[in-house]
Amino acid sequence: MGAAHSASEEVRELEGKTGFSSDQIEQLHRRFKQLSGDQPTIRKENFNNVPDLELNPIRSKIVRAFFDNRNLRKGPSGLADEINFEDFLTIMSYFRPIDTTMGEEQVELSRKEKLRFLFHMYDSDSDGRITLEEYRNVVEELLSGNPHIEKESARSIADGAMMEAASVCVGQMEPDQVYEGITFEDFLKIWQGIDIETKMHVRFLNMETMALCH
Amino acid sequence: MFLLLPFDSLIVNLLGISLTVLFTLLLVFIIVPAIFGVSFGIRKLYMKTLLKIFAWATLRMERGAKEKNHQLYKPYTNGIIAKDPTSLEEEIKEIRRSGSSKALDNTPELALSDIFYFCRKGMETIMDDEVTKRFSAEELESWNLLSRTNYNFQYISLRLTVLWGLGVLIRYCFLLPLRIALAFTGISLLVVGTTVVGYLPNGRFKEFMSKHVHLMCYRICVRALTAIITYHDRENRPRNGGICVANHTSPIDVIILASDGYYAMVGQVHGGLMGVIQRAMVKACPHVWFERSEVKDRHLVAKRLTEHVQDKSKLPILIFPEGTCINNTSVMMFKKGSFEIGATVYPVAIKYDPQFGDAFWNSSKYGMVTYLLRMMTSWAIVCSVWYLPPMTREGDEDAVQFANRVKSAIARQGGLVDLLWDGGLKREKVKDTFKEEQQKLYSKMIVGNHEDRSRS
Repeated sequence: MGAAHSASEEVRELEGKTGFSSDQIEQLHRRFKQLSGDQPTIRKENFNNVPDLELNPIRSKIVRAFFDNRNLRKGPSGLADEINFEDFLTIMSYFRPIDTTMGEEQVELSRKEKLRFLFHMYDSDSDGRITLEEYRNVVEELLSGNPHIEKESARSIADGAMMEAASVCVGQMEPDQVYEGITFEDFLKIWQGIDIETKMHVRFLNMETMALCH
Repeated sequence: MFLLLPFDSLIVNLLGISLTVLFTLLLVFIIVPAIFGVSFGIRKLYMKTLLKIFAWATLRMERGAKEKNHQLYKPYTNGIIAKDPTSLEEEIKEIRRSGSSKALDNTPELALSDIFYFCRKGMETIMDDEVTKRFSAEELESWNLLSRTNYNFQYISLRLTVLWGLGVLIRYCFLLPLRIALAFTGISLLVVGTTVVGYLPNGRFKEFMSKHVHLMCYRICVRALTAIITYHDRENRPRNGGICVANHTSPIDVIILASDGYYAMVGQVHGGLMGVIQRAMVKACPHVWFERSEVKDRHLVAKRLTEHVQDKSKLPILIFPEGTCINNTSVMMFKKGSFEIGATVYPVAIKYDPQFGDAFWNSSKYGMVTYLLRMMTSWAIVCSVWYLPPMTREGDEDAVQFANRVKSAIARQGGLVDLLWDGGLKREKVKDTFKEEQQKLYSKMIVGNHEDRSRS
């Protein structure tokens, strides 16, 4: 069948680009179609159809990450209006487990990519630094919805955390030295030596066809 | 004027005779047993024959697939990802622990790490979420000769295609007209019968006639769908002054339950054919029909139901608390309205066998007429009905807990998954209260740490 051939070529191409197997790609394609309502692209509104996602306090940041041009590798800043299936897979591939057989350089690269994804989540104005304001914003979102925590305590928590990060990255500061914000290098420094691999991946099942006999 | 050749008149005669024979058979084998509630066992025989044919078809497909090296069975899709069962607290503690082991005493309270957990969870739900899975039809593992259930239908062998073609012919040209005729008969008898019974003076005779007219017409409708139903534990059938609750898969549930018991229906007043049927039915015995405006007023609804239930001479009410059709692999949240009334609840579990025809009504995909046509062109509808022992609300339970208790009993009996989610999510969004719960838990952890620190 003609249609089947060009489809499988596309699949192979995607396999190469993103690292998923063809079965996983097929499964994710079905999920993509479910989310998009059979359209070729997804918009932000389509993520409203995932009820479990509503429970997540940083829901808006996660959805935003899908449309972030930096994650899609389409530019240094800004948001795309809609994404197609390839973009969807690109974002998903940030959560693939690191292939430890690949060699140290590759492993280090994958790790950096994942941390960069997280960095982009914090750094919402794409200026390359996580400022105090941006950090406060994340903390407020994580704690939003709880009436017992006032905005003040959320702020103080954020401020405290920022100071700790500064001391780790810059060391002792002069009294009038202003800490501009956490750059990506500082971010990496904070995470040096800590194993994030298992926390930043989703375990994809191997889609082997299990023939069930009656 | 046409000159009828002798050949033509022969055909006309044959047609006339075959139609007469068909209708006599119809009457004798289908309608008469329906009136008296007996069964010749024809449907069970039909079911056994079909099963043998399906087994052959599946074997044939397996052989054909092996020859061509095709992937035959759909991947066993219980989800594409393995979700971690650890809770929020454990995971965040672990991340923080691994962080603080290398840093000094003062680690940031709100570690940058906390975002990991929520980020990953969010990704997992986007890739695969429990709720949306429940709303698409179940996928089969053996082929039942209906192309609608075989997504990878490819040409395997001549014999199989011929068999499938024969199946199509039988279903559309023989079974479908037969079923439509039966359905027509059933519905018109219901309308006419109940109207006639309505003219009788109130009393035991009227009740007797009403009961039997209802039962007869529902039985004819059951045969119109070729529904093969197995009833279990019939001694637990609902009695007067009780409420019967069941899980909901399709509008056919009503016909299935009502053909074995005499119930009072609850529902919205519709226009058109449904409206005619509703008005006729209410003449023979009191059903509870609500106007569209009244449905919104929960207190009014509860009041009318309570009045009905307290009158012991009135029939048990039939209610489907899920509020919408679920695909028969799980039971979703029961709405608490019917459990607040305080009557005895008789739970009923209905489980369909998807092998002969999928009864699930995906109302966002198919309209009512399309759905009925699909039902009538399937091989049969096979299902099991379990009548569970009656339950009442205990002293310290509230309506929601009671509803959940009943729901678990139904899910357990029917072999369905017991979900906490609201069936209304098919169309609406999550209630804010659920979101807040998660955030409260998380915030408690942060504040807890905060307080510990300020003390030390």
